Amino acid sequence: MSKTKRVGFKLDMTPMVDVAFLLLTFFMLTTQFKPAQVAEILLPESHSKFKLPDSDVMTVTVDKEGRVYLGLDSQPLRVKVFGEANRLKAGMEVDVKDLGKLMRTARLSNFKLRTVIKGDKNADYKVIQDVMDILQKENITRFNLVTNDERP
Amino acid sequence: MADVNVSQSRGKQKHGKKKAKRVGVRIDMTPMVDVAFLLLTFFILTTTMSKPETMEINLPPSNDVSVPVAESNLLTLRITPEFKIFWNIGIEKPEQVTGDNKKARLVSLGKMLKEKNSANSKLITLIKIDGKAKYVDMVDIMDELNLNNINRFSLVPMEDKDRQAIEKL
Repeated sequence: MSKTKRVGFKLDMTPMVDVAFLLLTFFMLTTQFKPAQVAEILLPESHSKFKLPDSDVMTVTVDKEGRVYLGLDSQPLRVKVFGEANRLKAGMEVDVKDLGKLMRTARLSNFKLRTVIKGDKNADYKVIQDVMDILQKENITRFNLVTNDERP
Repeated sequence: MADVNVSQSRGKQKHGKKKAKRVGVRIDMTPMVDVAFLLLTFFILTTTMSKPETMEINLPPSNDVSVPVAESNLLTLRITPEFKIFWNIGIEKPEQVTGDNKKARLVSLGKMLKEKNSANSKLITLIKIDGKAKYVDMVDIMDELNLNNINRFSLVPMEDKDRQAIEKL
């Protein structure tokens, strides 16, 4: 019996694989993972163009239920402020009453620390106002609010 | 797929002279390329190219001596939880910013602020936001101020007398 003739088709995939590896290396080297989130936060939008600093950041997170979290980006500092057991936690839920004291401890260890408020869109303004009052009492008079870029 | 060292000498070995025997190494690269593509997709999807933006705020220190300001240089904005904006200069009667929705009100607020600030360059804006309002309202108001290059503003807590002042309107 005669077989149906198959047309042999060969494609050189080498260039494609080369490009794939090139892209892979690029993404592996440039990628920066999203920092761990303490809570699901929907950021408000603004036209501001200041970028968030990379390091030495102290984040006060306010979620939409009004819970307040304090986050520090360096592990040694976390140990100093929250204790050894919480070394790997990106942020701790704190009572608004203790916030001032904890921030003072953190700032005494690292005076370059910048304060950043990361509030949920739908958080009550009251909580943010309280947090800002505490910042003012702690003499943190310059701080940033994290926002998303507003898409037109 | 992507093979290297494709040896073609096998068939010819039978009736040739004694050649130095070459060992044809054939590696199937398909799994490696598969893994490479998998990683590539992973990195493309997880990478975050844009960092979030921030808005900078400077507060006066709490032990600051109070600075007397003439009432005619004081523009008060009061924001209700429903995002109604009332404004007044000095002790004038508060007026509501027009607009059917939030966006329209913000636009007309911006226009009003620009007008008042070009009329009086010493104008200081006081922002009183109701505690029940949302955080996004504050950010929107401050964004509007920043867009109009108004840097002299301060956030003041809303008190009951403020609520009464705008209640009747």
